[in-house]
Amino acid sequence: MELEKALSQDESKGGVLAHLEKLETQVNRSRKKLEEPQGAQAVESSLGTKIRDKLRSEVKQRQARVAVRDTSVEPDQTLEISEQKAWERKRENVKAILQAYRFTGLSGKLTSRGVCVCIHTAFEGTLLDSYFVDLVIQKPLRIHHHSIPAFIPLEEISAKYLQTNIQHFLFSLCEYLNAYAGRKYQADQLQRDFAAFLAGPLQRNSLCNVLSFTYKVELRGQAFTFCARLLYKDLTVTLPTDVTVTHQGMDTLPTSWEEQRASHENLFCTKALHKVFASFTQREKLDMSLVH
Amino acid sequence: MDSELAEVRALEAEIAVLRPACEEPPAPGGDAASVRKSFPEIYQSDSEGWESSKDLRSNLGHLESELLFLSTLTGISIRNYSKKTETLTSPEMAEKSIKKVLQRHRLSGTCHMISFQLEFQILEVQNKENLSSVITDLNIIMEPTTTYSELSEFVSRAEERRDLFMFFRSLHFFVEWCEYRKRTFKHFKEKYPEAVRLPEGASASYMRVQSTSQPGFELVIVWRIQTDEEGKVVPKLDLLTKVPRQALELDKKGVVETAAVGFRALLSVLGIEAALESLLSVLCMEHGGQSPQ
Repeated sequence: MELEKALSQDESKGGVLAHLEKLETQVNRSRKKLEEPQGAQAVESSLGTKIRDKLRSEVKQRQARVAVRDTSVEPDQTLEISEQKAWERKRENVKAILQAYRFTGLSGKLTSRGVCVCIHTAFEGTLLDSYFVDLVIQKPLRIHHHSIPAFIPLEEISAKYLQTNIQHFLFSLCEYLNAYAGRKYQADQLQRDFAAFLAGPLQRNSLCNVLSFTYKVELRGQAFTFCARLLYKDLTVTLPTDVTVTHQGMDTLPTSWEEQRASHENLFCTKALHKVFASFTQREKLDMSLVH
Repeated sequence: MDSELAEVRALEAEIAVLRPACEEPPAPGGDAASVRKSFPEIYQSDSEGWESSKDLRSNLGHLESELLFLSTLTGISIRNYSKKTETLTSPEMAEKSIKKVLQRHRLSGTCHMISFQLEFQILEVQNKENLSSVITDLNIIMEPTTTYSELSEFVSRAEERRDLFMFFRSLHFFVEWCEYRKRTFKHFKEKYPEAVRLPEGASASYMRVQSTSQPGFELVIVWRIQTDEEGKVVPKLDLLTKVPRQALELDKKGVVETAAVGFRALLSVLGIEAALESLLSVLCMEHGGQSPQ
């Protein structure tokens, strides 16, 4: 009867494995008893059935528990997946925002000793070159490397603002670089798209803040050549501060030509260089359509 | 006997089957964390390229600190950003091997106290020789517009020129000037609390200076922050006077009339802060008041 006791006791105390071990020893014992010639058959038989029933119910319980565990693990896993996905989405979002900084004109990447700032340039919607300044973050702040053209007064700007106001330093540099890129772009466009107007090459300095060129003008069947000299005194602007248009040939111009000359001076002061020439071609077309 | 023995053997067999079934999975109700811990490994081995969530989080942390750093460095915080791309095709383009991609961007964020929302399009054209990117459309919404009416000026200019970088540059310098104006107004309010009035606060564009002994006399310093054609931000200061009629009649030399011109001259020589200081010190001394230290 101790067997029955053992069977009913173990459930709460031991684990399933311990219980099974006990059952095993019970079975072994009962087998030995069975093999003994004077075994009490009725007892043994009922004991065997009890063991079997107990085992079967144990298996059922066990299976039920495993099933429950399986289904409870599954939401855990999906939770894990959705959590992982959320983290990934968040990371992609942060990455995209970091990249979007280029649209502010300033983007950057952390380096082992500081930050490498990228300065982007554009002229009226056309995206142009980018430059970098590799900064070492220590006191005092130091420029390690950079790709700023030599003619941009980087030293002057950094002496003024680098230690005191880094934002001002960067945006000032943006101003200089964007203005330079803008002046260069205008000169390039003029050479590329309006070469037919130019009598000779366009002269420029490296900063593109002094431009001079000779161009042909036609008015009522008469042809003239004008010389233009554009000066950008302020290195942070894309429109010239001084414009002189002179004519070649005659000493005194007929009134209509003088008017033309003066209007050209005004145009160069207020509009982008290639747009001034675009307006010339439009007017030519207009003139032609009036003639025909 | 035989049947019983057989039954016992069957039970033994059942135990033999049960044993591994009980050993294999972790104990019921066991540590759920162990499942969770082992999970990323399974995850990783199951599909290549998946990283452990620990790595992912530390990577995200790194990117977030980079983002924080960039926003400190530039003074511009981008909160939201999205992009859509569309490849434009036509038989003609295929013939000339030209590729055109239209990108639609939406971006919003803040620069100090000002928030902005931008929508713009970039057309990328790739041909054999080069790649060109042009902003074809730019829309800007700024807030608060009422506080900074000066903003609308350069917003429309930037939109017209589709000059995104100019917009951010101007915005930065604009904010810088606003901060400087606010600091300066506050400084004079603290230094001359009796004379200086800031009816709309230090962030407004003007400061009233009242003579402490002659309440009828008042100066208004209007400090506007303007942007020019090229997006350059420039301060513009004006002096307005409020003088009683009787006093005006006595003013034979036209001092009041020329005050505004004189103030401009003072500004160009001394700069903003020193010009205001000299003006205020004179005004507060003249009427017997003592200039606070």
